[in-house]
Amino acid sequence: MRGVRRVALGMALSFFILSLGLVYWQVAQADTLLENPANKRLILMENRVTRGGIFDRNGEIIAQTKTTNGKKARVYAKDAEMFEPLLGYSSVTLGSSGIEGSSADWLLGVKNATPTQAIQQLFALPRNGDDVVLTLDSRLQSLAYNALKGKLGAAVAIDPRTGEVLALVSQPSFSPTTLEETWKTINEQTGSPLRNHAFSLFPPGSVMKVVTSAALFRSGINTTDLYESKGSAVINGQTITEQNGKAFGWVNYNMALADSCNAYFATFGVQAGDKTFLSTTKGFGFGQKIPFEFNVPTSSITNAAKPKLPATLSTNLLAASAFGQGEVLVSPFHMALVAAGIANHGVIMTPHLIERVLDPTQTIAFEQKPQPWLNALNKEEADKITSAMVSSVNDGTAAPGAIPGVQVAAKTGSAEHPGEGKTHAWFIAFAPAEAPRIAVAVLVENGGTGGGAAAPIARQIMQEALSQKVGDK
Amino acid sequence: MIQRLITRIIILAMMWIGLLLLKESLSTQLLWQALIFSVIVLLGSLLEQILHYQGDPYILPVVQAIMALGLVFVVRIEPERLIYKGQAVHQFWWVNVGLLIFYAVLWMIRDYRKLGRLRYLWGLVAVALLLVTLLFGSTAGGAKSWLNLGGITLQPEEFVKLALLLFMARYLEENEELLRVGTVQWGRFSLPDWRTLGPFMIMVAFILGILAAQKSLGTALVFYMLFVLMLYVVTERALYLGISVPIFLMTGTVGYMLFRHVRVRVMVWMNPWQDPNGGGYQIAQSLFAIGGGGILGTGLGNGIGATTVPAASTDFIFSVIAEELGFAGAMAVLVLFLIVVIRAFGISLRAKDRFGQILAAGIGILLGTETLIILAGVTKLLPLTGIPLPWVSYGGSSLIVHSILLGVLLNISNATAVGSHSTKNTKNKGKEYAT
Repeated sequence: MRGVRRVALGMALSFFILSLGLVYWQVAQADTLLENPANKRLILMENRVTRGGIFDRNGEIIAQTKTTNGKKARVYAKDAEMFEPLLGYSSVTLGSSGIEGSSADWLLGVKNATPTQAIQQLFALPRNGDDVVLTLDSRLQSLAYNALKGKLGAAVAIDPRTGEVLALVSQPSFSPTTLEETWKTINEQTGSPLRNHAFSLFPPGSVMKVVTSAALFRSGINTTDLYESKGSAVINGQTITEQNGKAFGWVNYNMALADSCNAYFATFGVQAGDKTFLSTTKGFGFGQKIPFEFNVPTSSITNAAKPKLPATLSTNLLAASAFGQGEVLVSPFHMALVAAGIANHGVIMTPHLIERVLDPTQTIAFEQKPQPWLNALNKEEADKITSAMVSSVNDGTAAPGAIPGVQVAAKTGSAEHPGEGKTHAWFIAFAPAEAPRIAVAVLVENGGTGGGAAAPIARQIMQEALSQKVGDK
Repeated sequence: MIQRLITRIIILAMMWIGLLLLKESLSTQLLWQALIFSVIVLLGSLLEQILHYQGDPYILPVVQAIMALGLVFVVRIEPERLIYKGQAVHQFWWVNVGLLIFYAVLWMIRDYRKLGRLRYLWGLVAVALLLVTLLFGSTAGGAKSWLNLGGITLQPEEFVKLALLLFMARYLEENEELLRVGTVQWGRFSLPDWRTLGPFMIMVAFILGILAAQKSLGTALVFYMLFVLMLYVVTERALYLGISVPIFLMTGTVGYMLFRHVRVRVMVWMNPWQDPNGGGYQIAQSLFAIGGGGILGTGLGNGIGATTVPAASTDFIFSVIAEELGFAGAMAVLVLFLIVVIRAFGISLRAKDRFGQILAAGIGILLGTETLIILAGVTKLLPLTGIPLPWVSYGGSSLIVHSILLGVLLNISNATAVGSHSTKNTKNKGKEYAT
């Protein structure tokens, strides 16, 4: 009877392996499965759960589920178009995206439930999801949306001290209320309204010089030394030209950043060497995943090594990368973080969009605490770059970003790109320069110069943010 | 007596709680059927008392618990889609008829050894049933394994399981010695001669061949495991297990290269995420449902797998159970099945005659492999091959056949217990006289 015993043992063992399979799927992989885009269960769960609301930092309703005659309907704020595509949508036929998609586990009340909560939920029907309170400020968002309306591009405002995202606009956008009817036209529209331009990669152009600056300091250059700008320079056989071929004469570091002198940064960038340059960009988060509620594409220096950083750079590519051309790609969101890092004395705070989550009884289920992400610069380096950015506003290309009575620090960019049309207009800024409360990055695609197209938008956002009283949420 | 009744009452209470939680989908007809089920279960346990049932006391309550769970879930799944309509009432019918047949088999068969006398007839029945299906059957879900008889759709391969078990048990009992020792020397191994092995091999090749032609890959796999493991149980020669692996791999490879549907199955198994809305849809939805259950499940009626998973009431019923009852409930189902399988082997070990031993072991092997293959399939441990989960999945043929198998198993158990009891009594009597 040994045979029977062995087969019985084999069966028992197989059942044990089967139970390990269950542990794998139901415990270890449960969250991964939930996030699979083919998994419609969260959307289908809506039939059984009243989806939580989405609010801005002042408690204004952005999205809410209302039940009328037993039918649930998602009702968006009248002006919800200004939050798209960040806010996203959730529909049985179209799937989900944006905050509606990434926070679905909160909104449907299936995240982080303690065992007792989980048991309570089993018997509590109909179920209610959690409310999500965002760090966005509707007033800033509306301002940025209106300023950018009709253009292609993105605007991001961040509180440099905490990493809170105060405004995030991407143009073109769409109305979530009529999404299902207009789905086809939205998909065919130029500029792809469904794509969040703040989370898309673009060549940064001259705004990259604030990053290169740190590499220059670390290679030990003297910022007061003068360099003669002749309108163009030849480095290793490659000709570096200034915008419009303008010659700036003798410039020091501050003047070079203020006037956005390409040859200065290319020359000293090459002198600093690829190792210093690459390690500095890494310090600013290039080639690294941004810890955020959304998946933001990683900024890169070369196409070949994407999304990682390359080990070395050729001299020509280094020269071009130093003023943000070459193969450098960065998202407007990341550029706002770079500005915020300089503003916050070199420390980039982990960005976040969800301020807190309230369960159906309005008790706090989750609250975001400010956390540092990267130490991009030391205080001295940050101060040097800040003062050069101040010069840029007071006496340089960033002058259109100036606000009366408040000292702004800013940098412009006019990035050449492989596509057709004018250069991409960039503007990064923070204010007040001595104690920054807001950092912004604005990108107007094919907008021309940063000072002309992007700076006025950034100025309006900062002005609105600073006009609110301190501590006024 | 009390214990017997209490277990049944607990099982029925759980079923009724489940049904009442799903009250929206209850019809009067369903309530009547559920009442009949309850009466049969309770009367059955009284009958055991009256007729002095002495066999294994755990298997029947456990199987009834499994059945009750299956019934609740078939009721649960029914309203989700039009194709499931009417299944709940049917399933109750089949379970009630199945239980009656079970009691008939348990009490009517005086001597189960007689079942083995017709061994070649059983073999013939098995082959004939499969041939008829292959010729006149209808196709559903990719496999040509259904037979339409005047409005009733049968799945003959389920009945083949019964015929084949009886044939195998008898054949292995008769040829045990020859298979064990072997008469032909082949290298270091001694193998049985052709006359002994011939009928068996022809039978195996025939049945597996027809099943492969029907594209019933799951059932073919169950039968293959049944043949190999029964041979091993009887002869206790690891050689047979050793040979079976390369044969399986070879046939598998040939099948993989020849047939597109086999290739698709394997590819989908290796990476269902490549095309989760096309070829990988079934398994992806199954895993989404299982994963969505988490530890405690979504609660009965709260899951969404019943809507999204295809064939939720048949092949994928476990995915729905695992979602709504969670890891805890899924483990409970596993344990219930494991109890039945292990107790079946226990009956085999205690049986007094060789035929009974082999038959009981065969039933244990059959139940075990069926459960393992479908559960491993829906959890992506093995390529998915659709077969019903015994006593749980919707389907009359499977339910009736497994009820008969249960009857045979407990008949053996009861006969063993009654036999040893009476011999013990005579021994005691002798002792009395001696002292």
